[in-house]
Amino acid sequence: MKILLLFFLVLAGCSNTEHGAVRAFTVHTPRPFGYVLGDEIPQQIILETASDVALQTGALPIKGTINRWLELKQATWEKTEIPDGWRYVIDLNYQVFYVPLEVKMLKIPGFALQLSQQGKISSQPVPDWAFTVAPLRELAVRKDDNGEYMRPDAEPHQIASTNAQIAFGLSASLALAIAGYLAYLYGYFPILNRSNVFKQALRKISRLSKGDIGQILAAVHYAFNQLNGKPLFQVQVADFLSRHPEYAALKVQLEWFFAYSNRYHFGHSLVVIDDDVVRLKNLCQHCRAIERGSR
Amino acid sequence: MLRAIRHGLVWASLSVVGAISLYCLYTWHGLNVENATIQQLLSGQDVAVEQVVAKPQIRLARACYLKQKKRYDEALATLSAIMAVGDSALQAKVRYNLGNIYLEQAVVSVENNDTSRAMPLVMLAKQAYRQALALDSQFWDAKYNLEVAMRLLPEMERLDLENEDPKQQKAELWTTVPGFPRGLP
Repeated sequence: MKILLLFFLVLAGCSNTEHGAVRAFTVHTPRPFGYVLGDEIPQQIILETASDVALQTGALPIKGTINRWLELKQATWEKTEIPDGWRYVIDLNYQVFYVPLEVKMLKIPGFALQLSQQGKISSQPVPDWAFTVAPLRELAVRKDDNGEYMRPDAEPHQIASTNAQIAFGLSASLALAIAGYLAYLYGYFPILNRSNVFKQALRKISRLSKGDIGQILAAVHYAFNQLNGKPLFQVQVADFLSRHPEYAALKVQLEWFFAYSNRYHFGHSLVVIDDDVVRLKNLCQHCRAIERGSR
Repeated sequence: MLRAIRHGLVWASLSVVGAISLYCLYTWHGLNVENATIQQLLSGQDVAVEQVVAKPQIRLARACYLKQKKRYDEALATLSAIMAVGDSALQAKVRYNLGNIYLEQAVVSVENNDTSRAMPLVMLAKQAYRQALALDSQFWDAKYNLEVAMRLLPEMERLDLENEDPKQQKAELWTTVPGFPRGLP
């Protein structure tokens, strides 16, 4: 951002405005030196008027060619209300296309702001603004040592692929996560599957009593089924233990569990006692201990 | 039943995300291929470019290649097709390169004493550089080459005088040459 220097003009006595129509008039311009071909020069005009005064915005300079070396690239204005009046901020942005042979002083031509007050038209002149422009190169058009006399072509930048990379990274990660979850559901991570089955069963049965024996048995069965990957029946216990030798120490308790379950589900004269529940919980705790690797 | 629904949903999600992932990978690969094409063109190897669908960066690179090979008409046609494509930075480059083609041909014409051909070329070059600077006022190469183009024109005007009446030549020379030379827009 160029440092703006204040170029202050007092209009009282030197303008054509009606008495009291313009309360303040300021032109802000940047440094008046050091410009080269193609540079932009911003100019801001601040005008404060009485409340019955209106700026004729149609008379403001319009975008386009001012003269053969000066373009007005942008012309905008803004009107805000202030106590007993109006404040106008006019922003102009010029572009210079002058090629001097040496440092040269030029002038941005002034113009007049048209104001209307009670049917009368008056004007507030914006003065010329002088600045200097400098050449970019020496006078002669000639080739340098490499035979070059002009700057080379502009090459295109590489097409940015960052967005595609990020999108691929995110979508691939998500796809992997979903695939992992699917593998988990299908039991392809037996360690993960196994590690929690008795923990969950233990949590479920810990607060149950002999009145809930059906739920206790179901929870323990569910844990063994999960571990086995399919429903586990009494006749398959030996096969199960051969595949899960870490549970071999519990063979007796396992056989008791399946026999008890059979009696509960298919027998008619089973009387559940507290000791049965304790034995089932103990079995589950032992299985949990093996599951955690602590046995 | 719930298990089947859950599995179905997970499979569906995996299919959708997997398809998106493959599409992103395909896009990324496509961009890498395009960047390789740009590099190839800029290093002086020709690549057949589909003018209608190719990205403007590739067509700009091909225009650079064509100009490098002095195939000015093809380069001009390539650049003209992407004048209004891309962001303002790219459009500024297109106009600048267009100006370079005109200016290079103008200088060749001047060296061949063909000033009648050089004059309109310089005018076109100036116009293109000014358009580039209007889009990007900090485009220093465009500033420099516009200055070259503007310096070229007064030299050509003096060249014209040499073929005219000596008396008139003397009179006109003194209007432009003596003292501190005036700058030209």
